[in-house]
Amino acid sequence: MDPWLLVTIILGFAMAWAIGANDAANSMSTAVGAGAITPKQAVIIAGILEFTGAYFFGKSVTETIRKGILDPTKITDPNVLVYGSIAALLAATLWLLIATKFGMPVSTTHSIIGGIAGYGIVYAGTAIVNWGKMGQVVLSWILSPVIGGIMAYLIFKALTKSIFERKNPVRSARLWSPFWIGLAFVVIGTMFYIKVLHGKNLGTGVLMYGIPAGVAVFLITYLLIRLRFPISDPFIGVETIFRKAQVVTSGYVALAHGANDVANAIGPVAAVYAVATMGLTGMKVPVPRWILALGGLGIAVGVATYGYKVMETVGKKITELTNTRGFTIDFSAATVVLAASWLGLPVSTTHVVVGAVMGIGLARGVKAINRDIVRDIVISWFITVPVAGLISAAIFKILMMVG
Amino acid sequence: MQVWTKLFAKSPFKPLIKHSEVVLETVETLEKALRAWERGDYEEMRRLAIEVDRLEDVADRIKAEIRDSLSSKLMMAVAREDVLIYLHMQDKVADAAEDTAKWLLVKKPGTVPKEVRELIIQMGVESIKAAKLVHEAIVQMDRVIESGFSEKEIEKEYEIIHEIEGVENEIDGLDTELMQRVFEMADELSWGDGFYILNVARTLSNISDKAKDAAERIRLMMNR
Repeated sequence: MDPWLLVTIILGFAMAWAIGANDAANSMSTAVGAGAITPKQAVIIAGILEFTGAYFFGKSVTETIRKGILDPTKITDPNVLVYGSIAALLAATLWLLIATKFGMPVSTTHSIIGGIAGYGIVYAGTAIVNWGKMGQVVLSWILSPVIGGIMAYLIFKALTKSIFERKNPVRSARLWSPFWIGLAFVVIGTMFYIKVLHGKNLGTGVLMYGIPAGVAVFLITYLLIRLRFPISDPFIGVETIFRKAQVVTSGYVALAHGANDVANAIGPVAAVYAVATMGLTGMKVPVPRWILALGGLGIAVGVATYGYKVMETVGKKITELTNTRGFTIDFSAATVVLAASWLGLPVSTTHVVVGAVMGIGLARGVKAINRDIVRDIVISWFITVPVAGLISAAIFKILMMVG
Repeated sequence: MQVWTKLFAKSPFKPLIKHSEVVLETVETLEKALRAWERGDYEEMRRLAIEVDRLEDVADRIKAEIRDSLSSKLMMAVAREDVLIYLHMQDKVADAAEDTAKWLLVKKPGTVPKEVRELIIQMGVESIKAAKLVHEAIVQMDRVIESGFSEKEIEKEYEIIHEIEGVENEIDGLDTELMQRVFEMADELSWGDGFYILNVARTLSNISDKAKDAAERIRLMMNR
C-alpha cells in the first residue's frame, strides 16, 4: 500500500476520533444533562448509532475537496492533493483537540474546510478558493443556529400547546410524545430510502418508508409508555414521560450526527485513496464502504475514550435542563441536520444544537442562559476556519518541502 | 471548562422560592407572636418577636446572595429587573413584619381595650394571609415558566394575585375602622396606648401593602 495512503487513513481515523470526542459528545450533552441517559448509556447509544449513521447514511460519493471549497481543475499535481489532504486532516484534528481541551463546541465541518482552504491558498494563492462556497460557509454560521433556533422555538410552542395547556397534561404527554418520536422516524425512514436504498423519489420515500416507520414506532412507543406511579404533580409526570422519550431522540441526534459529519473525516481519505488507486480524478470520487466504516468506528471510539469524560462532567453539572426542553433541542437539531445534509447545505450539528438552545430561551422555556458563554461559543465558530487554515498551511508547506 | 455546563445558568427561581420560604416563616412567627400578645403572654410574645427579627436577617442575607448572582449577562425567561424588584418587595414583606415585632416589643400589653385588640388580631391574620399568598404566587410563577407560559397556569397565577389584592383591600378597610375607633376612644386611652395601637396597625397593614406590590411585579413578569 502507498505509505501516504496509510498515513491518511491513520489521520482520518484520528480526525474521526476527535469528532467523536468533541462534536458527538457535545451533541449528546443535552440528553445527559437532562438526566435522560447516563454517560455510560450515552457512549453505547452514540457508539452504535454514530456508526450506523456514518456507515448507512454517510455519503457514498464525496467531493475530492470538501464542499468544493477549492477549484480542483487548478490542482494538476496529484501529490498536492495527497499532501493537502493530510495537512487539512491534521490541522482539523489538532484544532478539534484544542477546542475539546477548552470545552468549545466548534464545527468539525468548518475545521476541515478551513484546513482545505489553508493548503489551497499556500499552493495556488487566493484565486483557487471558491469564494462563493466560502461565502456559503460563512452564511451557515448564521443560518445553522437560526434555523435550529426557529425549529426549536416552534416545536417548543407546539409542545406546550399540546401538553401543558390541556386539562390532563400527563395524558396528553402520553399521546404526544410518541407522536414526536413517530415523526422522527418518518424522517429516519425517508432517509433510509434515499441513502441506503438509493431511492430518488422523495414522495415515495415518505409514503412507503417514512410514514409506515413513523406509524409503527408511534404505536410501539404509545404502548410502551405506561406510568405506574401515583402522579401527585402532573408536571413531574410529563417530565418522566419525556425522559423516556429523550432516550430515543438522543439516539436520533447520534444518527444524524454520524450521517452528516463522518464525511469530514473520511472525505480526504477517499480523495487520497482515489489518487492512489486511480491517479488524479475529477470533482467526485466514490467512497468505499470500508472507509465509511473506518470513520464510523473512529467516532465511536472517540466518544468512548474521551467523549465519555465530557458527558460525565456535563451530566453532573447541568441541573437546570428539564426533559421537555432537552427533547425539543434533540428533536429539532437532529431533524434540521438530516434535512440539511439531504439538501447539501453545509450546516454544523454543533451550531444547530446551540441555536436550538437559544430558540427555547427565546420561547421563554429556559430559566437562565449565560449570554457570556453564548458569546464565547460564537467567537469560537468565527475563528475555526482561519485557525484551521493557518495550521494546515504550515503543515502543507513542510510536507511540500520534505516530500 | 465544559461550555455546556456553563451555558445553562442557575435558575433564579429556586433561591427566590427559598427567600420566600424564609419570609413566610417570618410572618408565621409574627402571627404566633400576635396570638401571644392577644393572650397577654408577654414572655412568649417577646421570644417570638425576637425570632421574627432573626428570620428577617436570614432573609436579608439570601436577598444579597440572589442579587450578587443575578448577572446582567443572563438571558432569562423573565426580565431581570422584574426579578430584582420582586425580590425587593418580597423582602419588604419581612421588613414590615419585623417593624410590627419591634412595636410589639416596646411596650407591655394589657392596657389595650379588648375590642381594639380583636380588631388588630383580625388585621394581623388577614395581612399575614396576603404574605402567605405571595409564597404561593412565586411557586406558581415557577410552574408558569415550567409550562412554557401556558394559559392554564397563567390563569391560576392571576387568581392568586387577585386574592392578594382582595385581601389588601380588606385590610385598608380594617385600618380605617381601627383609626376611627382609636379617635372615638381618645379620652379613655393614654396617648402612649393610642400611639402604640396606631403604629402596630400601620405596620401590620404595611405587610399586605408590600405583598400586593410583590404580586403586582409577578403580573409584570408574565406580561413581558
